[in-house]
Amino acid sequence: METKISNILKSRKVLIINYGMGNIKSLHAAFRYLGIRSEESDRPDKIYNSNILVLPGVGSFKKAMKNIKDKNIDEAIVNNLKKKNSSILGICLGMQLMGKTSNEDGLSKGLNLIENNVRKFSFSDTKNNKIPHVGFNNLKFNSSNKLFKGIKKSHDFYFNHSYRMLIEKFKGDYSFTVYGQKFLSSFVKDNIFGTQFHPEKSQSNGLKVLENFINHT
Amino acid sequence: MLKKRIIFTLLYQDRNFFLSRNFNLQKIGSLEWLKKNYNFTLMAKSVDEILLLDVSRKKQNTSEFCSIIKSLTKNCFIPIAVGGKIESLDKAKKYIDSGADKLVINSKLFLNKKLLEKIARVYGEQCIIGSIDYKRDENNIRILINNGSNSININFKKALKSLINLPIGEVILNSIDRDGTGNGFDFKILDQVPNKFIKPIIFSGGAGNYKHFILALKNKKIDAVATANLLNFVGSGLQDVRKLIINQGFELSEWM
Repeated sequence: METKISNILKSRKVLIINYGMGNIKSLHAAFRYLGIRSEESDRPDKIYNSNILVLPGVGSFKKAMKNIKDKNIDEAIVNNLKKKNSSILGICLGMQLMGKTSNEDGLSKGLNLIENNVRKFSFSDTKNNKIPHVGFNNLKFNSSNKLFKGIKKSHDFYFNHSYRMLIEKFKGDYSFTVYGQKFLSSFVKDNIFGTQFHPEKSQSNGLKVLENFINHT
Repeated sequence: MLKKRIIFTLLYQDRNFFLSRNFNLQKIGSLEWLKKNYNFTLMAKSVDEILLLDVSRKKQNTSEFCSIIKSLTKNCFIPIAVGGKIESLDKAKKYIDSGADKLVINSKLFLNKKLLEKIARVYGEQCIIGSIDYKRDENNIRILINNGSNSININFKKALKSLINLPIGEVILNSIDRDGTGNGFDFKILDQVPNKFIKPIIFSGGAGNYKHFILALKNKKIDAVATANLLNFVGSGLQDVRKLIINQGFELSEWM
């Protein structure tokens, strides 16, 4: 895959928020492949001062929020975004954490960066499709969606999740994916981005999405 | 539409990769050999997922295996599931921190639910693949653990049913009788799977050519197929298989 990252962008650095859940290595590898520097940290001061944040994660919503709060990472993210000159990409559980609430392990509150809620898939929701939703699936999005510049609607992305963000009344660019029913598979709200799929695990398609995110910052 | 997956399994022991036939291992070569004879970039573009299993018959050298995980995942932007001797949360964490996306648990699957719960509490159920190696006797289907060396006394059908209540995301059904034979998958085993089984099933053991893959992919109970047959699919083998399957009108995932 050819990447068109300018030298100016190459001078940027991504901060991957590492709060101890999931595989961070593959994100570093993806950014390295794209020629973008990346580092990881759980320190609120570093998070507050970074212009490009990535919030990854797999696992339990409740445990993730606890880790994030214990380390005061939530305040650092929210205050950083208030400065308006920074961007954040939430991936998989990271995207879900940006929502209002989740019913994983009882109802718990998210970072509330967007107003959508996260709910568990039930067998009836998915119309007897198996849970978790795991594997490659495609997305439906508006052609103006900057996250998917150069991506076709037939291109597939890797998902692995039992909870999903409801579309509700999302205002902004988004994509939905169908698994028995529609769910929110990505969103763009000003400087806040989220993908339920793993761009770092979606071959060339995913690398392109990461490149689009960086190009936007 | 969710696409069904083609998974490639790599069997590792003591710095080398192996072929397996009915669980008897035959050495193929080191990671360097694999990288040289196997165009990894091409391979990663031909499969949906990689399964890396440490099948060491002796004591595992964990740090050496972790360095293999790190090396394999370096420029490989597809999911990689790692298994072998996961007996503690600490081991699970070591695999994840080395680059694993998912964990494969076989020997402890029916014997240590607490371990599964512990791992699931940190990484989520979707991170754990429960793996079942089985063997048919005359009237019986036995589940074997520890690389096929011990059987556990549990009714096969009941065991499958019990998976619904285990904190795991997916299930691998691997036929030891078909393993490495290239004679095709053991479809009869699917009769043992409960109706409306909620967890995705990865079917393994016996794939010898693309027709075997198509038969398995068309089966409603199967969500993914896996092969560990390095030599059958060496070079552009996997890419060719993928093309043949797509040419037969079966939809697989599409990348740029």
